[in-house]
Amino acid sequence: MRRSGFGATAPIGWFATAGLILVVAVPFSFVVLQGIFPNLGAGSFAKPFSALVATLGDRALLAMTGHTLVLGFGVVLFSACLAVPLGVARALYKIPLAPLWDVMLLVPFMVPPYIATLGWIMALEPRGYLEQIVGFNLAPLLFSLPGMIVVMTMNTLPVVYFAVSRTVEAVGSRYADVGRVFGATPARAFWRVTFPLSLPGLAAGLMLVFAAAIEEYGAPAALGGRTHFQVLVTGIDLRVSDWPIDLPGAAILSLTLVTLALLSFLGQRWILQRRSYETTGGKPQNKDKRPLGALTVPVLLGFGTIAMLATVLPLAAIATTALCRTISGGLHVSNLTWANFLAVFQDSAGALDALLTSLALGVGTALVTGLLGLIAAYTTVKTKFRGRMALDIMTILPNALPGVVVAVGLILAWNWPGLPITPYNTPFILLLAYCCILLPQPVRYTTAAFQQIGDNLEAAARVCGASPVTAFRRIMLPLVLPSLATSMLLVFAVASRELVASIVVAPVGTETIATFIWRQFEQGSIGLGMAMAFIAIVITTLLPLCLVGLLRKVTVVEH
Amino acid sequence: MPSSPRSRPSKSLAVGLVAATLLAPVAAHADITVYSAGPGNLINTLAKGFTKKTGTKVEVFQGTTGKVMARIDAEASNPKVDVVISASWDTANDFAKRGWLVSYTSPNAAKVPASLKSDTAVAQGISALAIVWNPDSKTPKPSEWTDLAKPAYKDLVNIPDPAQSGASFELVSALQAQYGWDLFKSLKANGAAVAGANAEALNPVLQGAKAAVFGAVDYIALGEKAKGEKVEVIFPASGTNIAPRPIMIMKWSKHLDDARKFEDYMLSDEGQKAVADVYLMPARTDIKANRPLITDLKVLKLDTKSAYAKRKETLKQFSDLFGK
Repeated sequence: MRRSGFGATAPIGWFATAGLILVVAVPFSFVVLQGIFPNLGAGSFAKPFSALVATLGDRALLAMTGHTLVLGFGVVLFSACLAVPLGVARALYKIPLAPLWDVMLLVPFMVPPYIATLGWIMALEPRGYLEQIVGFNLAPLLFSLPGMIVVMTMNTLPVVYFAVSRTVEAVGSRYADVGRVFGATPARAFWRVTFPLSLPGLAAGLMLVFAAAIEEYGAPAALGGRTHFQVLVTGIDLRVSDWPIDLPGAAILSLTLVTLALLSFLGQRWILQRRSYETTGGKPQNKDKRPLGALTVPVLLGFGTIAMLATVLPLAAIATTALCRTISGGLHVSNLTWANFLAVFQDSAGALDALLTSLALGVGTALVTGLLGLIAAYTTVKTKFRGRMALDIMTILPNALPGVVVAVGLILAWNWPGLPITPYNTPFILLLAYCCILLPQPVRYTTAAFQQIGDNLEAAARVCGASPVTAFRRIMLPLVLPSLATSMLLVFAVASRELVASIVVAPVGTETIATFIWRQFEQGSIGLGMAMAFIAIVITTLLPLCLVGLLRKVTVVEH
Repeated sequence: MPSSPRSRPSKSLAVGLVAATLLAPVAAHADITVYSAGPGNLINTLAKGFTKKTGTKVEVFQGTTGKVMARIDAEASNPKVDVVISASWDTANDFAKRGWLVSYTSPNAAKVPASLKSDTAVAQGISALAIVWNPDSKTPKPSEWTDLAKPAYKDLVNIPDPAQSGASFELVSALQAQYGWDLFKSLKANGAAVAGANAEALNPVLQGAKAAVFGAVDYIALGEKAKGEKVEVIFPASGTNIAPRPIMIMKWSKHLDDARKFEDYMLSDEGQKAVADVYLMPARTDIKANRPLITDLKVLKLDTKSAYAKRKETLKQFSDLFGK
């Protein structure tokens, strides 16, 4: 291996490669093999490609793919329209109550999409909470394509908001100020200078939203069913939802999804490769933000409306359902009860065990994907490691793999007879599944951050005698840390509530938050499920926030 | 797992700690492994009761029939499961055909009707499909499947998706054999909606958005009613279909003795009482239950073999009908 760049790139590159092969390539290649060999589970390679013809020849496939694209682009457009202005405002201006808005826009990510969707349905359907309070319902809007896009946008817009606000903040207003000095209007300076420089973060965020939207199951299944809006994911789930199941068909449809995600990734690369986005050079940054002035009212109105729709309403619907003794009893004082919350704390049906397992898995997944993502991003952006393009592609593959398919791939990969040691049937298999599904988050966020750091910074450190490790630790790491930390936070949130892979791959006797909630719903204990969901949302929001607060204190002391 | 040449110690320590926490529950040795579809509290009660009685531990994996089967299929080269309980009798036929099942007739199965057992499988309990109706919906109380196509229920009926539930598929097949597609055409014309799997179809009826479910799984609705939800579970006199839940012992089991004992336990007085407690019909006819039993219900005629032979075609006709 040729050594180049500024440090000993080979070991880092090899570590990234080994990690990615274990976490991504192994399950992915078994998904591909399952698509080719229908009887792979039984260890047989008979009838290769037979399922391929049957699945790809299905006329419904084209419609499903079309619907998937419409939904994906719809969610991307709508999230961009809502989250980009807010993210830019947050980055460049002094926003009253800024930390509050950050938390409010973080919460939607902590709410499992299937729970949020159920919350929306119970709030807006005929005789739902809205109608019980104000006398009308919004069912026709909810059960339609626009309704689906709105619900999914409310779930995914934090991704865009945080990506944009962090990258625009890193760009700062210095470059735009130069434009202003040369006579540009503020709007022109923004559109011609700040906005183009922030493209890496925006493109990364939008691509993650696209991949999340085409991979999301809950909302299309619950809202699209009535209008017969079949997307690829609902098609995949249909193949494994009841007997007889069709694993090869599910695998092949998933590969179609992965192809869509890969195309969006190539689009993102194409945008980014046309120019340089380095904004973090050696010059000091002016971190002072400007006052909003006349924009105060509209900006606050924007934050308030989005926070209301994305956070307050779904949470209120979840809490209400958890507080009701029966659903048919409706919103009456006599129907209110704490029983569901008490049942969670009294560990009925193993609720506390499930919480602990999920939180431990969430932390583990955040640490592993954070470390692996950091190294993979550094290797692909800052080194000349051969095969870094392959690494980059590996980090994108799982983006659109539905959880159930990752789970099947993992079982196929790790359940071969004669494996001397296997994570299967231990909680490590869940860790592997979550790492596979969530690795794209830290990679995309840190890649965008690395792309903004000029090479001269690391070079300067090396010239001054720092070892490659020191240069990385003292220069590069602190500069990408905000992006990395944000993405690890998101990973923690999603991992602690992942449902579909968990249901299939969970070791016997192990319960996670999501499988617990799902089991309650399945048994008709909706209130208990919602109480657990509410408690999980509160914990997964508060835990990282306390951690961030704690870290901030520590750094202050060090300085 | 490959070890990293340059991972920082603090992080590997943290990972190690997390790993240690995660691994802790695995240390206990599992005596038999059971994969079960359907009510989680039932299989947990049965597992606990069995351990109490025999000291043999039972490790449980619970999911929908589809997820349980996906796991068994993916594991097939190196199977882990000793006993499977499915919500669809068709899986028992298919597993038997693949030669995956052990022949066993439990002494406790003597009181199980012959139609609910075979050489290699025996029912644990039985569910039936019913009309579940919300009495607060300001609609007349329905008594027949055809009632729900009447104008009084315009836009107020949910049908569970037959593609997602074996029981719903069998109901659609049986009613289609009896009435042709006309019944479903008039339901569609009356604004009936196809709504996901069982729980998804039932929730809107509880809240009042819909008046009735056309063919809901009875034990879930009966459980809701017992918890105080205002719903009524109606079995049409013209007949409905039932779904026996087969217990199967897998031939690769290394704990055949314990597996047989677990089957015996599920069919014992105590085990069958646990089945009745979650409002399923016990498989044994001599066990009392607080709900209509199989002898009280009229079962629709259905040739399951030919129904499943044209499953794809039926599902396509159904989705074409409701897709327009």
